[in-house]
Amino acid sequence: MSIETRVVGKSLPRLDAAGKVTGTAVYAADFALPGMLHGKILRSREPHARLVRIDAGRALALPGVRAVITATDVLDVRYGGGLKDETVFARDRVRYVGQPVAAVAATTREAAEAALAAIDVVYEPLPAVLDLEAALAPGAPLIHEAWQTYTAIPILHREGNVCQRARIVVGDMERGFAEADRVFEHEFRTAMVHQGYTEPRAAVAAWDSAGQVTVWSNTQLPFEIQNTLAEILALPPSKIRVIVPGIGGGFGGKLRVGVEHFAALLARRTGRPVKVVTTSEEELTAAYPRQGTRVELKTGVTRDGRITAKEGRIWFDTGAFAGSGPGVASVATLVLAGPYRIPNLLLEGYAVYTNKTNCGSFRAPSGPQSNFAVESQMDMIADALGLDPLDFRLKNIVREGDEGPTGQVLEAVGLEECLRRAADAIGWRDRRPAPGRGKGLACGWWTTTGGSSGVYVKINPDGSVAMNTGAAEIGTAALTGAAQVLAEELGVDLADISVVSADTFATPFDFGAQGSRTAFAVGNACRAAVADLRRQLFGLAAAQLGVDAEALTLRDKAVVADGKRIALAELARLSQASGGGLIAHGTFIAPPTPYDAKRVEAHVYPAFHSPSFHAHAVDLSVDRETGEVTVHRYVVAQDVGFAMNPRYIEGQIEGGVAQGLGQALSEEIVYENGRVLNPNLTDYKMPTSLDLPRVESILVEHPSLVGPYGAKGVGEPPNIEPPAAVANAVAAATGVRITTLPITAEKIALALRGEGPA
Amino acid sequence: MSFEYHEPTSIADAVALGARFGEAGRFLAGGTDLIIQMRRGRVAPRHVLSLHRVTGLDRIEVDGAVRLGALVTHRAIEQCPHFQGPLGALVEGAEVIGGHQIRNVATVGGNIVNASPAADVVPVLLALNATVTCLGPDGERTLPLGGFLSGPGQTARRPGELLTSIRFDRLPPRSATAFLKAGRRKAMEIAVVCVAVRLTLDAARERCQEARIALGAVAPTTMRAGAAERALEGQPLTDEILRRAGRLAAGECAPIDDVRASARYRRLLVETLVPRALRRCLDRIGRAA
Ligand SMILES: Cc1cc2nc3c(=O)[nH]c(=O)nc-3n(C[C@H](O)[C@H](O)[C@H](O)COP(=O)(O)OP(=O)(O)OC[C@H]3O[C@@H](n4cnc5c(N)ncnc54)[C@H](O)[C@@H]3O)c2cc1C
Repeated sequence: MSIETRVVGKSLPRLDAAGKVTGTAVYAADFALPGMLHGKILRSREPHARLVRIDAGRALALPGVRAVITATDVLDVRYGGGLKDETVFARDRVRYVGQPVAAVAATTREAAEAALAAIDVVYEPLPAVLDLEAALAPGAPLIHEAWQTYTAIPILHREGNVCQRARIVVGDMERGFAEADRVFEHEFRTAMVHQGYTEPRAAVAAWDSAGQVTVWSNTQLPFEIQNTLAEILALPPSKIRVIVPGIGGGFGGKLRVGVEHFAALLARRTGRPVKVVTTSEEELTAAYPRQGTRVELKTGVTRDGRITAKEGRIWFDTGAFAGSGPGVASVATLVLAGPYRIPNLLLEGYAVYTNKTNCGSFRAPSGPQSNFAVESQMDMIADALGLDPLDFRLKNIVREGDEGPTGQVLEAVGLEECLRRAADAIGWRDRRPAPGRGKGLACGWWTTTGGSSGVYVKINPDGSVAMNTGAAEIGTAALTGAAQVLAEELGVDLADISVVSADTFATPFDFGAQGSRTAFAVGNACRAAVADLRRQLFGLAAAQLGVDAEALTLRDKAVVADGKRIALAELARLSQASGGGLIAHGTFIAPPTPYDAKRVEAHVYPAFHSPSFHAHAVDLSVDRETGEVTVHRYVVAQDVGFAMNPRYIEGQIEGGVAQGLGQALSEEIVYENGRVLNPNLTDYKMPTSLDLPRVESILVEHPSLVGPYGAKGVGEPPNIEPPAAVANAVAAATGVRITTLPITAEKIALALRGEGPA
Repeated sequence: MSFEYHEPTSIADAVALGARFGEAGRFLAGGTDLIIQMRRGRVAPRHVLSLHRVTGLDRIEVDGAVRLGALVTHRAIEQCPHFQGPLGALVEGAEVIGGHQIRNVATVGGNIVNASPAADVVPVLLALNATVTCLGPDGERTLPLGGFLSGPGQTARRPGELLTSIRFDRLPPRSATAFLKAGRRKAMEIAVVCVAVRLTLDAARERCQEARIALGAVAPTTMRAGAAERALEGQPLTDEILRRAGRLAAGECAPIDDVRASARYRRLLVETLVPRALRRCLDRIGRAA
């Protein structure tokens, strides 16, 4: 970068570091109030059944039990994102094992658990739709018979068990395939996986005498929770205050209402604060995991390796309710296109109801599933054509000024640099250095999610600066990044800044800690606030210093003009004495990204804003007898636009790769007959430190036009490519191509023996 | 979960409490199996008898034989200098249990009495022909470990009996042991298959004098692969013979399909890991010579 900076762009320690490493930081699960009760949720044991009767008589008679509530105690509202199909409790039908049927508040957790066991529920089982094939079969039972009556954003294309079908159509498929010398068709599958945040979902709710409820929760989206609670409770949002004390990881799993509504409803019923915290079993059976998928790809290629056409379909098993499914199915089509120039495209993303838990968003929703298929197939095609997979990619990747799949003009395209640097770092030209050892590459692109952000910035009379944002710090250090922007622009140090965040009453609106947008959008809002503060400061300073406001600049915690200087602290004091203090409201919303509307149908996410580009390379060994994989090295080259804080970007990359390797090699929520077989952390296999290699990060900087100092969203992308990179390296090491996730040792070993499905 | 908690301070008191509460009582050693089973509602003892204050059960004694007190932790096994040589499989079994925090408190006695077919130290002890000694109101009994293990979570321990020690002979010259474990990750993992092997060569170092092969997670209890052992004894240990032992072991075990692995894959692992562990023993004997 050519810009000279003091604060932004430096690997400075995060503002919340001390509290977090010393254990004094308060997370939602730590939060407690005097007189608080404990809430627990009774969940369906049947994947699909008529709910005949619920009898809480025995439970209510138990010591310590203060309330039991069921569907008859709550308003009959359906809520949800783009499609409102969800209810607080099952009313007359349960649709997945884990669906809430009743909730209990008691004086202790043990008493609440005893009460759950004493609630008698009579189910009358119905035929269950257990997978995508069953849901899509002609004449399949409908998961939601009344789907047509649900409120949905009009753009969705729905039909029976399909709650969204998004489509991209470009060019002429027939001609595209006719131009190809070879046409490749492959199918891939991926498993349902959990975000694996350390802190379970937790909320405490308390009502006051004015009929206002405060909810302390570890949500990523306090303003969305405020609105959802308003719908569920039929209250104006102004009666609902949501505060995020701290979050022990979210990764998209804490976007939607999880336990907040139970806490609020039980607290209202009992007149006491109520805390609800999920168990590992609830997390693995009734949270918002990443959807399992099936993907079909058909790609036409010329003999010399130019892609002429691609037809792709991805089906998301979204579970019994739409959750994030409709959005995820839409985003997927952009990932299926890949970061490639392909003149003819027909891409479809489907979200499909089944009798499983409601799936949600997980770090780069749709990214890993779609990219696994696309980038596995790139290697399969390269092998079939006798091309080097790197050369084949370089021949087809998008470059500066190219069109994206929906016609957006791509700017700041650092993909070639990412690919070349990742390949160099891994020693690509020696791709099979020893028997059983192989290297794999994968690349991709991703969006920086839009939405608006507001900040209030106040300069205190001691010269320190308060940054007040509606965004939550979910652990990425994104708010430290935004504070670095603020410090840079105001001419102060990072340590001068304190952050107040995520309180729907006290902080300005923010679209939330999601979609790699926080540092990007809050950082830009800070710049807008500083522009306003500059006017205020320069007005005051011009009068004090007797110079023209035009001549003033901000430097070193002061306003300066040739030789003259007045400290920010003094200006803040002056302002307090004369005009109520120095405060500014800065806002930002990403400008819309133009695209060609004729190319999309029923699409809720037609273009990637300030897209990032990335390439991953891995070097691993496979034990040819046991199938066990050992990852030796992992390299990520990511075009971050501008590295606001290199150390924390590396942290995001390392964490994303760790999660991605889990999805690649070991993690899956296994369903059998509608029940999860591994609802515990013994058998849901997240990688341990011993399973992970050292991750090397290469930060590539092709500055975006919109982000602060050229930054792009960085949080989600590192999670996208690991499954594909690993699949490609396993194929290089063994000659065996595994087309389903996770790529377990068992699958590899059996495939190497020519047995079992790959 | 409600129970009475007792803290006997001597072996005699612990045995007396054990006798008093019988089936209603459970001894608590490291608690790394018991507490989890109680939390998951699989067991609900009315009396928990902590062994933390009982002294004299955490010693490792090595003379002609090796005696492990029931409260010896996996960490203590890992660090015991006597287990660095031919008895190295003990360290290999212990050091892959859970993570550091688990190994600091979890005990060998708990590993045995818990009687999980996937226990990691149990197959090593089985390959060492270990015996276990229990103390109850009627006195002391010593049983071979193989006979002690009777099913998943089941042993020949009588209600209230305290497991006090585990004993096995030191190895003759020209011997080695090896332990291998397969699982989906490298720590915090319940074995998909584990294999422990003890091998002694004849004086000429040409043929197998004695072989013991124990398999975990492929039958209702940790099991000996008798047919594979017999196929080795008296034989020159060529690669073909080792592989044959692997095939025999795979044939005689009885794995199940579950969420961790298929029975087919478990057999494949046995077939692979048995000869691999034997080869490792041969290497070790060769290196020690
Ligand atoms: C996270 C985690 C990871 C684990 N990983 C592994 C692993 O990789 N491999 C493995 O083999 N195990 C593993 N385990 C299981 C467990 O740690 C071991 O089995 C351990 O050796 C049990 O010892 P303990 O002292 O904790 O037993 P406890 O839980 O105290 O006792 C287990 C059982 O034995 C009984 N008992 C204990 N001592 C005596 C005695 N002296 N006399 C009579 N009865 C007794 C108890 O009443 C109880 O029924 C793991 C456990 C956890 C929680």
